[in-house]
Amino acid sequence: MGGSYEYYRPATIDEAMALMEGSGGNGVYIAGGTDVMVLIRQKKLAPACLISLRNIGELAYLETGGGLTVGSAVTHDEIAKNAFIQRSYSALADATKKVGSLQIRNVATMGGNICNAAPSADTACPLLVLDASARIAGKGGERVVPLDEFFLGPNKVALEKGEILKGFAMPAFGEGTGSAYIKHTRREAMDLPMLGVAARVTIRVEGSEVGCRDAMCTIDTISNILKRFEDEGLVCEDARIAMGVVAPRPMRAKKAEEALKGKVISEKLLGEIGEIAASEAQPRDSIRGEAWYRRDMIQVLTGRAILRAVDRVIRPDDVIWPQRLW
Amino acid sequence: MDGLKFVGQRIPKKDAPLKATGEALYIQDIKVPGMLYGKILYSKYPHARLLKVDAAKALALPGVKAVLTGADVPNNFKFGFLKDNPPLKSGKVLSTRDEVAAVAAISPEIAEQALSLIEVEYEELPGIFDPLEAMKEGAALIHEEFKSNVLKMPWKFVHGDVEAARKESAFIAEDSFSTQWVTHCCLGTSGCIASFDVGNNLTMYSNTQIPSLAQNDYLEALKTFGLKNRRVRIIQAVIGGGFGSKLDTYAYEYIAILLALRTRKPVKIVFTREEEFLATSPRQCTITKISQGCDKEGRLTFREIEMVLDNGAYTSWGATTPSVMMVPISSLYKVPNVKYTAKCVYTNNTYCQAFRGYGNPQATFAIESCLDQLAEKAGIDPLDIRRINANEPGEVTPQNFRITSCGMKDCIEEVNRRLGWKDKKGKTGDRGVGMASLIHVGGAARVYKSDGCGTIIKVDDNGKVDVITGSSEIGQGSDTIISQIVAEVLGVSIDDINVINNDTDVCPWDVGVHASRTTFVAGNSALGAAKKIKAQIMEIAAKNLGTEPEELEMRDGVIFSMKDKEKSIPLSKVLRKAHYTLGGRMLVAEHFYDPPNENFDQTFRGNLSVSYAYGAHGVEVEVDRQTGQVKILNYIAAHDVGKAINPMLLEGQIYGGGLQGIGYALGERMVYDKGYLKNGNFLDYKMPTVRDVPPVQAVIVESDERDGPFGAKGIGEPGLVPTAPAIANAVYDAVGVRIKDLPITPEKVLRALKEKAGERS
Repeated sequence: MGGSYEYYRPATIDEAMALMEGSGGNGVYIAGGTDVMVLIRQKKLAPACLISLRNIGELAYLETGGGLTVGSAVTHDEIAKNAFIQRSYSALADATKKVGSLQIRNVATMGGNICNAAPSADTACPLLVLDASARIAGKGGERVVPLDEFFLGPNKVALEKGEILKGFAMPAFGEGTGSAYIKHTRREAMDLPMLGVAARVTIRVEGSEVGCRDAMCTIDTISNILKRFEDEGLVCEDARIAMGVVAPRPMRAKKAEEALKGKVISEKLLGEIGEIAASEAQPRDSIRGEAWYRRDMIQVLTGRAILRAVDRVIRPDDVIWPQRLW
Repeated sequence: MDGLKFVGQRIPKKDAPLKATGEALYIQDIKVPGMLYGKILYSKYPHARLLKVDAAKALALPGVKAVLTGADVPNNFKFGFLKDNPPLKSGKVLSTRDEVAAVAAISPEIAEQALSLIEVEYEELPGIFDPLEAMKEGAALIHEEFKSNVLKMPWKFVHGDVEAARKESAFIAEDSFSTQWVTHCCLGTSGCIASFDVGNNLTMYSNTQIPSLAQNDYLEALKTFGLKNRRVRIIQAVIGGGFGSKLDTYAYEYIAILLALRTRKPVKIVFTREEEFLATSPRQCTITKISQGCDKEGRLTFREIEMVLDNGAYTSWGATTPSVMMVPISSLYKVPNVKYTAKCVYTNNTYCQAFRGYGNPQATFAIESCLDQLAEKAGIDPLDIRRINANEPGEVTPQNFRITSCGMKDCIEEVNRRLGWKDKKGKTGDRGVGMASLIHVGGAARVYKSDGCGTIIKVDDNGKVDVITGSSEIGQGSDTIISQIVAEVLGVSIDDINVINNDTDVCPWDVGVHASRTTFVAGNSALGAAKKIKAQIMEIAAKNLGTEPEELEMRDGVIFSMKDKEKSIPLSKVLRKAHYTLGGRMLVAEHFYDPPNENFDQTFRGNLSVSYAYGAHGVEVEVDRQTGQVKILNYIAAHDVGKAINPMLLEGQIYGGGLQGIGYALGERMVYDKGYLKNGNFLDYKMPTVRDVPPVQAVIVESDERDGPFGAKGIGEPGLVPTAPAIANAVYDAVGVRIKDLPITPEKVLRALKEKAGERS
């Protein structure tokens, strides 16, 4: 099973970094292990020692006052089941609840998903649209890097050897903000995204409250509801769009974001935004999906992700019963 | 049929607790004292000359006990249907699963390490990966000795006059269809332990689904190795799924035997999941040209099919799948004129084998997709054209199949009613309905000279019943079904029945778990043995009770006179009377059941099966026109099973088959790129997960087959036969595009939708 290695369970970040230094550069940090163990079994990784981060209390925080900060050792399942995140940082909940299987989500950590830096990392796009920054512990103390600068390429992140990703900080978003992540897969579980699209929008309606006002609201499709808002001017004040598996690293669709800001949201506009986003992507052919299809899906799913984010503002989950139709 | 106590009941599988608690011993769990671990080195190239295989460094590794290469295979031994496959290759390798060398070591880790120390020099050769290329004149020969890449097994069936019928047809539909490689995905990977005693008799721990035939294969191998007149014993571990993958012997088994002979130690080879993908044999991919015609009333006039199958680099029993493809081609619906030709072609791809349905799903995909095209041309509802042409009892089909029980029309009506066909067919929107029917062998299949199965029943002192059967339990539930049948006949509790089915030293002959034959053949065999043992029991009981055997009956292990209820005796007491009386006797009965079916003659005619299984699947889908994704909203799987011995297990077969069929239809595909397998893992091979299970209604139609045990027919394979065409037809009904190349991926649907939109604009 890939040779033998030492296994350490330090209790603090400092202890972990000291162990890494002592390993002579041949140590590997391990959290949930859902990526590291696979690499070891595939013989793509042969560490002299594994340094577990699971016992480090400093990494297992989740704070929700004035924004959201999430420790890197928080598991996907903890995120997916957190009601505050579901409501206010929905894209992140969307992404974490569709990773692998329950068994994987129970151990796989947010930090691990990001540090593995696969172009298909599910939490990457949501973190990008939620303006997350990475908090990094190193020998010289802590430094903060915007997430967009954290990804350098496939499996490459802005961590120096020995540094530990402590967690992520996301700002608080005001009223009228919603987000969503769509993972496009071939099956419902145990799958990587063929591509992923996340969107965050802040919307306002000229001279009135953003929100659903009639009984049809709970059962109608969002596109119909959108039509009713069109005359009133449902304006996008701020927008973020991020895409996964379409480039060597998860990326923002910045031109699409700019094109969306300040505009009245309509289905026609969303089609155009999707096209712009698709033009920014550089998808490739692989056995998991063909480039043309990925490009087409970016166009389709960008619109759908934005629509879903808008829907979450107009019709928060608690007014929808028994369930959303999409 | 009234008053049945065990037959027809929803009795949980007997082995379920063992499997649920992890107590079951799979081949992975079995250890033999002194056992070594074998590992296999596979070829780096799909086609290459082997210039040098140097094992010196591997042999020098501490813990390595033997390294074998092609040079160590005695007397040019080859296995397989055409004996074209040496267990270790020399001279040339013909596919990426070719075995180049093998190691036995004291641990799997050392064996693995030793593989990396074997030095192989290859001279890469250009490969042929497309059967159509391989058929061209002047194409390089995969096996030079055969002088052609087309197997010398000409499949041709002709009935009536297709050309004349074509001219007279009012409507004709023709098209081409193709199918992909898919693999069985058994949760229990393949494996064996080969062990020799001092007299060179072989004991093989195995998870084969053909113990009697494998025994014969090994004996033949031993003979070639210079070991004549030895004994071979096969002990089967609990088998974690077969689906046909264990219906033939593989190179790894002969390698384990050779390693055991070399080291004089038991040698275990168990596949990793990656090896299971690479080195077991998938379902054949096919290219099918089909045309069908009908008259003005929609009655079928002819069916003509030409097929090319990618055989891969070697030939297993799988090369005979065209014989089973003939079942639907000649006999699915009443069709008076039929012509079928098929060619199996060598390529440098993986070689193919049996997989649930044995060619029937590939053939039915073409027939049933094309039938919808024909219905459209004739302006007839697809459901109606199936009603018009449905098979019926008493029919004799072009291949001389004598149809006994036939619930096909009932199955079609179940689909009609439960799916709400008339309300949903042809409606605009993104939803659509589709259906397809099936015929399959339902009363065994005489593929080999024998189609038999033996059963021995012995009853011990305490009234417990041992049923020793030749048929194997591979997860399909045969031990439960056999127990129900024997319990029903005897009148004892099902818990008092113990089925022994895993040791060729003990168990009688059986031709194997294939052709959906176990309930029918092993069931009839057990039924016969149970009747015989019952007669013996009653005879002794009658003597003791002073009555005639005919007036006795047994219930809950107590024998009583139906005339005088006061006269009774427990079974255990009868047994003690038999055993404890001077000049006593054993209570043992045996019964061999070989069904009265026929091998095909030279023209491929003959009543292959005693009875035939029918079914119809109907599906409602919703297609996302922007992403091409197909969602199954409702799935009806109606099957004529003769009689459900155990409805719960039977529904399990239908659900399982249906799901496997949905995987085949919508996502599963082994991606081979120029001979290299690109997705040999569960991440990239898209078998559906439990989250992908749509609502499936398993509908049991009972037609009471006169030759079946309690009226039963086979159900092992039919569940996945009509799935893909039913879904393809539903997609067509929903959005007007027909996908003719499986699987129906979102890419293909979207591309077809775009092409269709392009045509319009």
